[in-house]
Amino acid sequence: MIEALRKKAEELLRSKTVDVVYGYGEGSVPERTRPVFITKPEDVNKLTWNKYCVYNLTTYLKKQEARKLGKPAIVVKGCDAKTITVLIKESQIKREDIYIIGVTCTGIGEPPATKCKACDVNTPLIYDELIGEKIENKEFSFDERYAELDEYEKLSEKEKWDFWQKQFAKCIKCYACSSICPLCFCDRCIVDKNQPQWIDPSAHPRGNLSWNVTRAYHLAGRCINCEECQRVCPADIPLNLLNKKLAKETEKNFKYRSGYNVDDELAMATYKEDDSEDIFK
Amino acid sequence: MENIYKPYLMNISDTIDEAPGVRTFRLNFLNEEEGKNFQFQAGQFALYSVFGYGESTFCIASSPTRKDYIECTFRQAGRVTNALRELNVGDTIGFRGPYGNVFPIEEWEGKNLVFIAGGIALPPLRCVIWNCLDLRDKYKNVTIVYGAKTVADLVYKNELKEWNARDDVNLVTTVDPGGETPDWTGKVGFVPTVVEETAPDSKDTIAIVCGPPIMIKFTLPVLEKLGFKQEKVYTTLENRMKCGLGKCGRCNIGCTYVCKEGPVFTAEEIGKMPDEF
Amino acid sequence: MEKTLKKENFNSLITGLKDKGYKTIAPKKDNNLVMLDEVQSADEIHLDHVQTNNSVKEFFLPKTEKILSYKIEKNKVSMEEPEGFAVKTVIFGSRPCDAASLPVMDKVFNWDCSDKFWVERREAITVVTIACDKCDSYCFCTSVNLAPDSKEGSDVLLTKISDDEYLVETVTEKGEGLIKELETVFSDPAGGTPERQIASVEKKFEIDKVKPWLDENFVNKVWAEFSTKCIGCGACTFVCPTCHCFDIVDECTMSKGDRVKNWDGCQFKMFTLHTSGHNPRSTQDQRWRQRIMHKFKYYVEKFDNILCVGCGRCSRVCPADMNISEMLEIIATEDNQKE
Repeated sequence: MIEALRKKAEELLRSKTVDVVYGYGEGSVPERTRPVFITKPEDVNKLTWNKYCVYNLTTYLKKQEARKLGKPAIVVKGCDAKTITVLIKESQIKREDIYIIGVTCTGIGEPPATKCKACDVNTPLIYDELIGEKIENKEFSFDERYAELDEYEKLSEKEKWDFWQKQFAKCIKCYACSSICPLCFCDRCIVDKNQPQWIDPSAHPRGNLSWNVTRAYHLAGRCINCEECQRVCPADIPLNLLNKKLAKETEKNFKYRSGYNVDDELAMATYKEDDSEDIFK
Repeated sequence: MENIYKPYLMNISDTIDEAPGVRTFRLNFLNEEEGKNFQFQAGQFALYSVFGYGESTFCIASSPTRKDYIECTFRQAGRVTNALRELNVGDTIGFRGPYGNVFPIEEWEGKNLVFIAGGIALPPLRCVIWNCLDLRDKYKNVTIVYGAKTVADLVYKNELKEWNARDDVNLVTTVDPGGETPDWTGKVGFVPTVVEETAPDSKDTIAIVCGPPIMIKFTLPVLEKLGFKQEKVYTTLENRMKCGLGKCGRCNIGCTYVCKEGPVFTAEEIGKMPDEF
Repeated sequence: MEKTLKKENFNSLITGLKDKGYKTIAPKKDNNLVMLDEVQSADEIHLDHVQTNNSVKEFFLPKTEKILSYKIEKNKVSMEEPEGFAVKTVIFGSRPCDAASLPVMDKVFNWDCSDKFWVERREAITVVTIACDKCDSYCFCTSVNLAPDSKEGSDVLLTKISDDEYLVETVTEKGEGLIKELETVFSDPAGGTPERQIASVEKKFEIDKVKPWLDENFVNKVWAEFSTKCIGCGACTFVCPTCHCFDIVDECTMSKGDRVKNWDGCQFKMFTLHTSGHNPRSTQDQRWRQRIMHKFKYYVEKFDNILCVGCGRCSRVCPADMNISEMLEIIATEDNQKE
């Protein structure tokens, strides 16, 4: 697979189809990879593929430093590819402006990431070139998809509140969660706006609660569950629980799953007369 | 131990609207004792705070020779300056300072002075202009070149009149093309061009320049052409600051901390700094 | 003064500290993390780790702290100074690199004028360090003139000499005072030379070659090449024991409020953004360069110290695997030539 990946990257660079390939390279330690930006065909050997390729590289589509390198080809797993669908739907990118190198994936991380347990996109849903043997995508029931919420949902309201209070107390306001998120693309985040000061900048209980809840809510109906926010959180806050809960509510109320079909209308940006209003209760 | 972040409390005793969005406050110490002990020199800056909104950094715009009060002039731009704008005579603000280095006006004694300012950058120069004018005998010719986008944008209009009326000050005012009014008697043109036209003699002369980066960029070569040596050209820089005390770590240009080693620099010093303005 | 401390006496140590009125901070397991946090008993202490996820910084420079309180009544303001922020505390079991960060930071918080919030906490807190008996590939203390058993900044240094015993060396008078206060917990050394269990940390680069390169290479393509992957978050600066940049903001209701000092970081684009919209460090490579320059050039020129203790936290935590020692290796091995 690595050879096929490198060959494709080389071909794309040589033919000048793209200027740069966003891919995975060797990391600081064997259990880590890192994002690499390959601009020369002779550098394609820096590309790798293994179970530690956790990054959702589409986040670099919002970074001016990466965009400066020119038209990109991006190596994406099935989960990452869903981001591209959302970015197209939200008018952040044009399909023709990027080349998608999809890789088939059977799970990443050690131990495997939570998202991989009920993965229904082993083969990306959108790509220009597929690397790896095509895998028949599985289907999961609604309950299976949100199984990671089972324990959490058993908690009483008070217990949930206490749980989040304890989790958010750890937040240091480093904003790694939003910086890594490919869908947190606002040029000036609400947290940086101070007229009025919507969110207290301090990392105290009130500031942390308002930040973390606002971040999650802005991703409601948009998050594609790449779990990058949770992976990068230096305070180990289970941010994906929030994201997943909101995804579940979105699906329950609006029959919408983010990133699956470029023809679907966005849940939060489309008004329908028969929209459920239960969400306001 | 003293709390270095604790401001003085100041009473706003007067406000003057200078230009659209630009206002001057006259401030007095609420605690007279603090007022008596307070000293500063031309070029220094301070952090002014509106309680509940935060602190904002700008220069002290009045001269240290006028001891009864401090004046500051600010343009409404961010959170704090917008809140400042809402305040009135009798309201209380916080004041931390004075911070930073000073214009070496004693070294300038016996020399000609050329002040060049653009837009809202006259306030930092106003402090040193009045300081030198209040010690007028110590300096030779004083020239002030001041420009703004439009006539309305000129600040300190009353003082411009006063300077214009003095025969020991050569005041040249200018507005950008299109910014003039029918009764405008000053020049029309950009500051660098007007400086070139005015052509102050560089011999035995100190130039003090303050303005937006683009104005400074084009004025410095003009001064060079007129024969000014870089070490005879002074300017004052601003950068985002939070503490003003060389601790919060953001106002540096390379190794130079603007809050401590500045804000006053010579063109020679700036020339040696890395390109990170 | 040299003593020994048996693991079985940890409990009497913690109880003793409590009795003497100390708050005790020690490494504690919290799910996937090991955090320096308040402990009530020795059972909570976790010592089987390379490095705690948080550094000692937050106990001296908290992530958020009040520096002033005020009341607003009509147009009158009254100010109140925060009190009671410096609590008599023992930090037990932090690493030598963390302790070494403290004297380095003393310089910035005391030069020209002193920040009482830092200074008074420094006085109130006693640091009992445990030398590292293991390390990982992110550690590089030996490359920045420190070692896994450095004494800089510690009041007391503990070194493992067997599975259940530590050698106790006092470093400062404050440390000696603490040991005397809790005399009964410690034993006298058995005599002979105990075998100190100290990690062997590989030296990765010659620190002496770093600054000369930085002096010449403010402009160099390596900054952008290395930092394209940087996502511009503040994780590296916040977990760093020596990154001390801060923001000052007001938080208030209609009638009362606080002025607070919050951690801030040079990797955020907002850090240097002017109100006008102009930004002197508008791109990530400029911000990455600032981080390296501040640590290995500016701070050295100003305070004669490297602003880095080689703890490796920034590299461990980086969402994009930016590795600071790798950057320094590149710098130290580059020809000292300007492009």
